[in-house]
Amino acid sequence: MMPIWTKSGEKHAVTLLKVQDCHVLRYVSKEESGGKTAKLLVGGKNVSPFSKPESAHEIFKEAGVPRKQKVTTFNVTDDAIIKPGTPLYAAHFRPGQFVDVTAKTIGKGFQGVMKRWGFKGQPASHGQTKTHRRPGAISTNKAAKVYLGKKMPGKMGNIYRTSFGLKVWRINTKHDIIYVNGSVPGHTNCLVKVRDSKLPTYKDCNKNPPFPTFFADGDEELPEDLFDEEIFQFTDPSVTFA
Amino acid sequence: RVSSDGKPPKFQPPPKPVIIDRKTQKEERRFLSPEFIPPRGRTDPLKYYIERKDMIQRRKVFNIPEFYVGHVLAVTTADPYASDKSKRFVGICIQRGGKGLGATFVLRNVIEDQGVEICYELYSPRIQAIEVLKLEKRLDENLMYLRDALPEYSTFDVNMKPVPRMEHEEIPVNKLQVRMKPKPWSKRWERPKYNIKGIKFELPEHKMKAAQKWSQPWLEFDMLREYDTSKIEEKIRKELSEELEK
Repeated sequence: MMPIWTKSGEKHAVTLLKVQDCHVLRYVSKEESGGKTAKLLVGGKNVSPFSKPESAHEIFKEAGVPRKQKVTTFNVTDDAIIKPGTPLYAAHFRPGQFVDVTAKTIGKGFQGVMKRWGFKGQPASHGQTKTHRRPGAISTNKAAKVYLGKKMPGKMGNIYRTSFGLKVWRINTKHDIIYVNGSVPGHTNCLVKVRDSKLPTYKDCNKNPPFPTFFADGDEELPEDLFDEEIFQFTDPSVTFA
Repeated sequence: RVSSDGKPPKFQPPPKPVIIDRKTQKEERRFLSPEFIPPRGRTDPLKYYIERKDMIQRRKVFNIPEFYVGHVLAVTTADPYASDKSKRFVGICIQRGGKGLGATFVLRNVIEDQGVEICYELYSPRIQAIEVLKLEKRLDENLMYLRDALPEYSTFDVNMKPVPRMEHEEIPVNKLQVRMKPKPWSKRWERPKYNIKGIKFELPEHKMKAAQKWSQPWLEFDMLREYDTSKIEEKIRKELSEELEK
């Protein structure tokens, strides 16, 4: 995470996400998947092929791509279908866009009810016998049962969670890095899924994105760094208020 | 010496004198700002490389002078609410923290009997000028104890003129021992954890001995805490000098 300053001098914290060897693996049509839209399977981050049996390598061999650590699905409209085997780059996103980031949260193991659900516990003194971090009552008398989904101690973390509506401030095309506003679930160097935001406020935010994706062998030549309009770039002199 | 074949021994020229050039040795002692050294961790070094590029970019446009804890600095920042749209603050640097672009330094001064500390970010675009008024290092790297010292040690004239300094001179170390206000202090500065050498402790002997109870003499031998930065520093220095010359 890094600080970033706007032209008016305000500071925002930014997370760096690296797009490492992402390739489209397979196209699944609407009828095949049984959903509302067609799907594209995308894999990221190359990993050694020797730790899995040959049967698991079929998808990767069809696409002509080394084995990937993670395979995710993206729901895609028919005009955005990409041929399997095309690499995906950070330039697929543009500064000023809004993005949802999904990842597995940091695993905390088996945790008590105070850390896991934020219960208040009991006082430390004034006669409490062996009861300082316990849940207390778990149901009422009339219910005569414990409701399904009652908050109780258990394994915390290591589940998929999404941060919605994160602004993309900057894109580094040379190293394939996306600078995303705020924090993102997961530990450092964990695998993350970045998607265009589904929030209704940001429905019309994408102005001329590279559609269906940014092709590296195309005619477009992008500069090394793409900045949002409001970012203070370090090549400019210090901010002054007129 | 025993001569071979009975002939007189071959002429051995005297050993060449080793000249230690003090000037070149001094130039080797270059200053590397502490925020360039990446902390120990599992982050990808690519992240620090990219951050360093941004820091170098900022340094090309705006001059961040070499300064240590104990220097007296004057910082001018842009302020939308001030009449001149800029604010100037003079103070002694008591702490330098943070790594990378978020590096900060805290300046302290006593203005009209009120102690004021301001934490500035080195790479913030609001900063318009940093001037070093007085160069002197102190015995410690963290002068937070000035909060509990007598206010005369933290007062600096706001209209102080910069003290002239010769280049390539060693930065003088001020071995000043500061006198403290009566206890209680904000932190127990007499404890060995803080390792402060710049305070003249006027506490009774038994209190100083009792403070030594919290000493951890095994810490200096702990090998897992060692972080040798010499090689990393060399690489970063090379990178810096190459980039700044461009």
